[in-house]
Amino acid sequence: MNRTRHSMRRMLAPYVLLAPGLLWLIVFFVLPTIQMFLYSVSTGSVDFGYRLTWSFDAFTIIPKQFSRQFANSLIYGTLATIITFLISYPLAYFIAFRGGRYKNLVLFLVIAPFFTSFLIRTISWQIILGNNGPVIGLMHAVDIFRAVPENFTFMGEPVAVVSGLVYNFLPFMTLPLYVALERIDIRLIEAAQDLYAGPWRPRGWLYGAVGGAILGGFIGFGIDWDIPIFALVGAVLGTIILGVFVSESFLRVTFPLSLPGVFAGSLLTFIPALGDYVNATLLGSPKTQMIGNVIQARFLESNDYPIASALSIVLMVGIIVAVMLYARMLGTEDLSGGAML
Amino acid sequence: MGLMGDDETGDVWQAPISRRNLLKRGGAVAGLAGVGAFLAACSGSSATPAPSQAAAATAAASAAGVASVAPSAAPTQEVPSEGPMGNILNFANWPAYIDVATSGPDNGKSPTLLEFTKATGVKVNYQEKIDDNNTFVATIRDQMKAGLDTGWDLMVLTDWMAARLISLGWISRINQANVPNCQANLVDSMRNLPWDPGNDYHYPWQMGMTGVGYSKKSVAAAGMQPLTKIADLWNGKLAGHVTFLTEMRDTFGLGALKLGIDPVTITLDQVNQIVNDMQPLVSQGLRFTGNSYLQDFANGKVWAAMVWSGDLASSGSADDVFIFPDEGVMVWSDNMLIPRGAQHQRAAEAMMNWVYQPNIAAQIEDFVYYVCPVKGADAEIKKLDPPAASNPLIFPTPAIVAKQHAFKTLSQDEDTAFNNAFNTLMGS
Repeated sequence: MNRTRHSMRRMLAPYVLLAPGLLWLIVFFVLPTIQMFLYSVSTGSVDFGYRLTWSFDAFTIIPKQFSRQFANSLIYGTLATIITFLISYPLAYFIAFRGGRYKNLVLFLVIAPFFTSFLIRTISWQIILGNNGPVIGLMHAVDIFRAVPENFTFMGEPVAVVSGLVYNFLPFMTLPLYVALERIDIRLIEAAQDLYAGPWRPRGWLYGAVGGAILGGFIGFGIDWDIPIFALVGAVLGTIILGVFVSESFLRVTFPLSLPGVFAGSLLTFIPALGDYVNATLLGSPKTQMIGNVIQARFLESNDYPIASALSIVLMVGIIVAVMLYARMLGTEDLSGGAML
Repeated sequence: MGLMGDDETGDVWQAPISRRNLLKRGGAVAGLAGVGAFLAACSGSSATPAPSQAAAATAAASAAGVASVAPSAAPTQEVPSEGPMGNILNFANWPAYIDVATSGPDNGKSPTLLEFTKATGVKVNYQEKIDDNNTFVATIRDQMKAGLDTGWDLMVLTDWMAARLISLGWISRINQANVPNCQANLVDSMRNLPWDPGNDYHYPWQMGMTGVGYSKKSVAAAGMQPLTKIADLWNGKLAGHVTFLTEMRDTFGLGALKLGIDPVTITLDQVNQIVNDMQPLVSQGLRFTGNSYLQDFANGKVWAAMVWSGDLASSGSADDVFIFPDEGVMVWSDNMLIPRGAQHQRAAEAMMNWVYQPNIAAQIEDFVYYVCPVKGADAEIKKLDPPAASNPLIFPTPAIVAKQHAFKTLSQDEDTAFNNAFNTLMGS
């Protein structure tokens, strides 16, 4: 009798422990998701109420009407992820291995902008990139050949939106990378060096040139600027970075061990960037609207709940599929490995 | 279905026809015809109705069918508002919409509100929270629907939105005993509007026009003559430095006038025509804003824009001007409403009553440069600021009144279709 009760308790314990989290998920995630799905197949208006009609009209018009905004989201989100990675990796590497006694200070500096409101931080980019701002002012000042057109502008262009995204999501990439790199046992790298791991050239040059050209070309394409120039710059930078700075020990030891951080960081950047609408609202124009802007406008401005809900569902399913593919590609079993800060 | 909430699909759906008819009859159009009539009266040409006003009236009449219908969906219970005044009034309004002292100890504060506090003991929490009708209403829709406190006791919304909210029963009935000034001083042309014939739910705050504003310096620097037409906004020299309004009726209204379409009878086909006409500008970087065009003018980001009539005069630099374009202007009224569930209804009524004193109305008008709905304010403004009495923004001339156009009262289906087209144009 006593024994059965004891084993009952043991059986129930995990569920009891799970209950608060589970309940939270059901109330704030599962139910709203079901509600959202029901809205997406309803007809009516927000003022007069909705009727569940199982009409899939909202889904059928999406490819026709909103493919451009989906494409914008995908391109800007991907660009933001790649660029934050390119900035964050050297930064995290530096903090983890060379930070020394300034480690905590530098880490603090990475998250310091978070002490200001997200909106204020984004609006400040309006000033930085604005027509009367420092960046364009400097460009005109150093432009002795008058190559920059008089009415040149960043605001409202993809480059402004991507800049905003990169800036706002940088810490979400840097911190997981830092955690992953910081955990690496330095003796593994020393061992690799003892085993004659040298510089990576000449193959590094080749990979750097090709990879840099592709990446640069994609960035140029994404922000709608001159693709060949970006490809060329990418190729040069890639050659230098991979050819000169990357060693075999980094390639075979450090980088593979930091993959959980890469995985976590890119998810933490890519997923919110894909659905973000603040940057495109404040820094963009109608032609740079992302899918988040559409969802926001349809929910709050035109009160078209069915379309807004359908778009949210498509976005959600799209993200889940993309993440699953990515996880398989990167072969990371430990999905949250780098996210454990 | 359980999750959808039966209250949302309840009684409203059982009588959709009467509501739709109500909206049709209700006709913000007729209300706007009233604005036209008032403006005509103001400028001393009340004998001959302006063309736009005649058109609006005809359209309203044809849409109406029945002359006047009481709002059937309005709440039946009288909200008791005899009680104590309370000590605070939460007032949501649009930017640049009240007088502000520019010197002295009250610099930056509104004399009208300070005097109100002195007279009644009620402090005013005045917030410039409304930049767009839809966006603002979205923030309080659920509370109004449920009859809960929205955090606001008084709010100012444009005629078409006011008519819609009143017909939904989301607005508190005004206790007329508390607003004798409103009853006495509301201009005749704004009385008996089909969507609230007895002013049971609203009193106008201001009326105004939508036209074109530009910075003289920037436009000259771009190598252009001073602007005179809506079509000038399409000029390639201004590309990337133009904004339109996020209010669909304003942007499509001016877009219609540019193409020679009468906004009062606008159809979906014509809307698509307007969208096609505006699409190239969007590709060149056209943006859509609410009152924030004031900041854009101030920092030189915008050189020319669709703007509301009083803003640049009250809050722009001397270099920024409003013009009544050749093709015409849109007219509208913004109205004081007490949302259902308001905690300080008595204080809200006191405020309505306060701003309907001719001297107070003149004081506001002399700052905001919109068209005033209060009888006797013209005489008061002459004492205060004689040149203002001949300002066409406050007292439009007959030539301007002839240019005024109202936007069609949309059915639910049209509203959805027009908004869809508008959002698509805005890239969302």
